[in-house]
Amino acid sequence: MDLETLLSFDWGTMTPEFIILGFIAILSVADLFMPKHVDRKILGWVGFAGVVLALASLVSLIGTDTTSILYDTFRLDSFAIAFKLILLLGAALVMLLAIDYKHNDGLEDNKGEFFYLFLSAVLGTMFMASSGDLITLFVGLELLSIPSYILAGMRKRNMKSNESAMKYVLNGGISSAITLFGMSYVFGIAGTTNLKGIATVFGGLTDPQHIYILGLAFFMIFVGLSFKLASAPFHMWAPDVYEGAPTPVTAFLGAVSKTAGFVIILRILLSIFGYVPVAQEDGQPIPLLFAMQDYIAFLAGATMIIGNVIALRQRNIKRLFAYSSIAHAGYILVALTAMSFITFDAIWFYLLAYVLMNLGAFAIIQVITMKNGSEDISHFAGLYRRSPLLAVGMGIFILSLAGIPGTAGFIGKLNIFMGALMVDQAHYVLVSIMIATTVVSYFYYFGIMTQMFFRPASSEEKIQLPMGTLVVILVTAVGTILFGIMPNLAIDFLHTNFNQFMDFMR
Amino acid sequence: MENAWLIPLFPLVSFLFLLLFGKRLKEASAFVGILATLASLVYSILVLLERLESPTHKAEAVWLTIGNLELTAGFEVNQLNALMLVIVSLVSFLVHTYSKGYMHGDERFPVFYAYLGLFTFAMLGLVISPNLLQTYIFWELVGVGSFLLIGFYFYKESAKAAAKKAFIMTRIGDVGLLIGMILLFWQTGSFEYDEIFAAVEEGAISGTMITLTAILIFIGAVGKSGQFPLHTWLPDAMEGPTPVSALIHAATMVAAGVYLVASLFPLFNASETAMLTVAIIGAFTAIFAASIGLVQNDIKRVLAYSTVSQLGYMMLALGSAGYVAGVFHLMTHAFFKALLFLAAGSVIHAVHTQDIEKMGGLWKKLTFTGPLFLIGTLAISGVPLFSGFFSKDEILIAAWAHGNYGLFWLAVIAAFFTAFYMFRLFFMVFTGEARSEMKNVHESPSVMTLPMLVLAVLAVVAGYVNTPWFGAFLGDWLVEGNEALGHGHIAGPGWIMIVATAVSLLGILLAWMMYSKNSISRDWLSSRAPIAYGVVKNKYYIDEIYNQSVVFATKAISLFLRFIELFVVEGLVKLTTATVQALGKTGAKIQNGQVQTYGTIAFVGLAVLMVIYALTGGYL
Repeated sequence: MDLETLLSFDWGTMTPEFIILGFIAILSVADLFMPKHVDRKILGWVGFAGVVLALASLVSLIGTDTTSILYDTFRLDSFAIAFKLILLLGAALVMLLAIDYKHNDGLEDNKGEFFYLFLSAVLGTMFMASSGDLITLFVGLELLSIPSYILAGMRKRNMKSNESAMKYVLNGGISSAITLFGMSYVFGIAGTTNLKGIATVFGGLTDPQHIYILGLAFFMIFVGLSFKLASAPFHMWAPDVYEGAPTPVTAFLGAVSKTAGFVIILRILLSIFGYVPVAQEDGQPIPLLFAMQDYIAFLAGATMIIGNVIALRQRNIKRLFAYSSIAHAGYILVALTAMSFITFDAIWFYLLAYVLMNLGAFAIIQVITMKNGSEDISHFAGLYRRSPLLAVGMGIFILSLAGIPGTAGFIGKLNIFMGALMVDQAHYVLVSIMIATTVVSYFYYFGIMTQMFFRPASSEEKIQLPMGTLVVILVTAVGTILFGIMPNLAIDFLHTNFNQFMDFMR
Repeated sequence: MENAWLIPLFPLVSFLFLLLFGKRLKEASAFVGILATLASLVYSILVLLERLESPTHKAEAVWLTIGNLELTAGFEVNQLNALMLVIVSLVSFLVHTYSKGYMHGDERFPVFYAYLGLFTFAMLGLVISPNLLQTYIFWELVGVGSFLLIGFYFYKESAKAAAKKAFIMTRIGDVGLLIGMILLFWQTGSFEYDEIFAAVEEGAISGTMITLTAILIFIGAVGKSGQFPLHTWLPDAMEGPTPVSALIHAATMVAAGVYLVASLFPLFNASETAMLTVAIIGAFTAIFAASIGLVQNDIKRVLAYSTVSQLGYMMLALGSAGYVAGVFHLMTHAFFKALLFLAAGSVIHAVHTQDIEKMGGLWKKLTFTGPLFLIGTLAISGVPLFSGFFSKDEILIAAWAHGNYGLFWLAVIAAFFTAFYMFRLFFMVFTGEARSEMKNVHESPSVMTLPMLVLAVLAVVAGYVNTPWFGAFLGDWLVEGNEALGHGHIAGPGWIMIVATAVSLLGILLAWMMYSKNSISRDWLSSRAPIAYGVVKNKYYIDEIYNQSVVFATKAISLFLRFIELFVVEGLVKLTTATVQALGKTGAKIQNGQVQTYGTIAFVGLAVLMVIYALTGGYL
C-alpha cells in the first residue's frame, strides 16, 4: 500500500477512535513522567475529557453517508454510530466512577495505568462496532479483552481481585479459542475474511455439506461470543469476576463490555449467517440464522432462568448484580431470537436503558461498598434515612431493572415482548419464560428495596457523595425516568438519524 | 373536561413537593396533601357534572413508536371514568384529612403523605386511561404505592413481609394481564378500548381468542382485587396504617380489578365462558371470604375478608351481565367500606389494640364513632334503606336474571354470613362489658370524625341514585349510548328483595343473640326493642340449636375453606417457591469457584448443542 492510497482514505470517519487513541498516548506518557506523589486523579479527568470529545465528534458524524475505509475493514454505518453512542456514553460514566473509586489494596499505586488501560478497552469496543472484516472484529475483541483482564486484577493486594483476573483470563482464552475455531470454518468455506465478501459467497451456497458445516461454525461462534454477553453456557465466570474486580471495572464489564458483545454478535450473525440459505421442506430457502432460532431461544431461556434463579440466593451485592446482568443478557437474546422488524430498535433501546440503569446502580453500590468495606446486602439497610438521594436513586434503578412501568426498563421489555409476539410464529413459550423469570427477579430486587426503605439503619452517619458519582447518579436517574415516560425521544432519534439501519450491509 | 388530565397531577405535585420539602414542613405536610386532593376532588366533581350533559371526551398523542406502530397516550372521560374520578378523589381527600389526626405524632409523617400522594396520582391516572397499555402502567404504579404504604411500619417484621407478599402476589396476576393485553394488541392492532371493542363486534377476533384474552386479563383482576386463589395478600396487607387500608385496600386500588373488568365489559360479554368464569370466581370468593370472616378476631382482618367477599360480589355481578349492578356496588362499597375502616381506625386509635376479644362496651365511650360504625355495618349488611341494600339487590337480581341460580343462592348465603359477621364485630366491639382494661379511651378528634361523617351520609344516601322505586338514574346514565353494556336496570322477581332483606335481618338477629347476651346491652336492647327481647327470652333453646347445627355447620365450612386456603393455596405457593429455591441452590452449588468447572460447562453446553444439531439432521 503506497502513501497515495493511504491518504485517499476518508480518515475522518475514524475521528472518535483517533481521539481515544491520542488520549491513551497522552495518558501513558504523562503517567510515566509525572512525579510519584502527584494524585493521578487528574489523569482520570483528562481521560474523561477524551471520551467526551470522542462522543462529540461521533455526534458530528451522525448523518454522514455510509463509508468504509481500508478495503472494507472499517466501516462507519448507522449501526456503528448508534451503538458507539451507547458505548461512549457508558464509558464516560464509568470513567467518572473510576475517578472517585478509592480502595486501599493496591489500586492506588497504579491508578494512572487504570485510566489508559480502560480507554484501550473502550477503543476495542469501538472497533468491534465498526469492523467490516473478521480480522478487525477479532482484533477489536482482543483489544477489549486484554486490558479487561488486567483491569479485573488491579487491586493487586486483594486475593479476590487476583482470583478474578485469573479466572477471567482463563475463560477468556477458552472463549477466544472457540470463536476463532468457528471463524476458521467460515473462512475455509468463504475463502475471504471480509464480511461483505463472505455474504456474497454464502448467498450462492448450494452444497448441503457446506451449509451443515456452517451450522457447526454458528454454534462455535455463538457460544464463544456468549462469553462477552455472560449468557449460558458461558456465564459462570461472571459472578466470580464481578465480585473480585474493582467496582468501576465491574460496572464496565456489566454494561459496556456486554453492549460490545451484543454489537459483535449482531454484526457476525446477520452479516454471515443471515445469508446462508437453508432449504426448507416446501422448497423456499430461509436464512440459517432463522433456522437456528430454536437454539438461540433455548439459550435465551436457560440464561434467563439461571440468572434470575441463582440471584435469589446471593447476599453479596456485586454477585447479585452479576446474576442480574446474566438475566438481562437473556432478555436481550429474546429480541435476537425473534428477529422481528424491530429487533434492532429493541436491542438498541434495551442496551441504552440497561447502560443507564445498571451504571446508576453501580455508582450507588460503589459508594456503599466503599463506605462499609464490605459488599453484603445488609449495608443497604436504612439507606433512606442515611441518604434519601441515594435511596431514591437506587429505587429508580431497581424499579427499572425490574421492568416497572414509568421507567426505561419497562419500555425496553415491552419492545422485546411486542417483537417476540408480533412475528409470524410468535414465541409464546419464550415470552412466558421471560415474564415468569421477571417475576422471580422481583424477589431479589425488592429484597434490596425492603432493605433500603423498610429497615432501620445500623448507623445514622450521613453519606457524602463525591462530585463525579453524583453526576453519574443524576444523569442515569434522569435518563431512566425520561426514557420511561417519553420513550419516543430516544426512538424518534433512532428513526430520524439512522434510517432503520438500512445500510447495515451496503 | 378538556383539562381533566390535570386531576391526577395535583397529587403528583404534592408527592414531589413533600419528597423535597417534607422534612422541613413536618406535620404541616398534611395541608399540602389535603389541598392537592381537594383540588382533584373539586375538579372531578366539575368533570362529572359536565359529563352528565355532554358526550365522552378523549384526547391522545403519540407516545411510543414501535416499528411502524404508534402507541398513544392520553385521557378519556366517559361515564365510568367520570364516576371513578369522583369516588377516588373523594375517598382520598377524606383519608388525607383523617390521617392528619390518625398519624399525628408519627416520626415519618411527611413521608406518609408523600406516599399517599403518589398512590392517589397513580390511581387517578389509572381511571382516566383511554387504552390498555396506559392502564397497565398506572396499574403497576398503584402496586408500587401500595407496596410502600403497606410496609410503612417497617420496624414490624410482619409489615415488611406483607408488603413484599402483596407486591409479588399481585404481580403474578399482572403476568396474565400483560400477556392478555399483548395478545389483544396482536389480534386487533391496538390497545385502545374503542378499537378493541369494534374489533370484537366485527368478529375480527376468533371466539377462542376472545375467551383466552378475557380470562388472561381477568387473572390480572383476580390478583389486584384479591379474588380466590390470589386473595391471601389482602388480609396481610392490613399491616399498613389503617387510613391506608381504607383508601387502598378497601375503596380504591382493590376495586381496580373490578374496574378493569367493567372497562373491558364488551370483551368479556362476547364470551360465555369468560363471563361464567368471572361469575363463578366472584361467587365463590364472596362466600369463601365471608365464611372466613366469621371466625376472625382482628377487627381489621374481619373487614379485610369482608372486602374480599364484597369484591367477589362485584365480580359476580359483572359475570352475570350486570354491568350497572357491579359498578353501582363498587361505588356504594367504596363509601361504606371506607367508613368502616376509618371507624375501625378510630376504635384502634382509642383502645390501642385490634383484638376484638379485648374490646367491648365502647358504645358509650365512643359516642360518635359507634353510631357511624353502626351505619356502615347496616349498609354492608344490606339492611333496607341503606345504600348496600340497593346495590346488593341489583347484584342478586342480575345473577338470577342471567340464569345463574346456583351462584344466586351462594350469594344469598354469603349475604347472610356478611350480616352475621359484621354484627358480630359490632356487638363484640361496642356492646357488652369491656373484656380487658382500657385506659384513656377517648373519642377521636374532629379531623378524624368529620370525614367519617361525610362517608356515613354517603353510605346512607348513595343508594338512592339507582333504586327500583325512584328510578335507575345511575344505571341509565352509565349505559347511555353504549348498547354493549346491557340495560340500565334489570327487572327481577320481587321476592328477591324480600329474601335479601330476610337473610340480612336473620344474620343480624343471630349475631345479636350470640354476642350480645348476658350483658348490659341486653337491657339497652330490651327496653328499646321489646319484640326482639321476647325472642331473647327463649335464647337458651335457640342458642343450643344454633350451637348444635348452624354454628357447627358454619364452623365446619369455614374450617374446610380455611383448610383449602392453608394447604392447597399456600401449599401451591410454597411448592413453587421451594422449586425455585431448590433450583437456585443447585445452581449456586455448581458455581463452586473452580475455573475448570466453568470451562467444562461451556464446553458441555457447546457439545450438547452440536449433538442435538447432528441428531436432528441439521435444523429444528
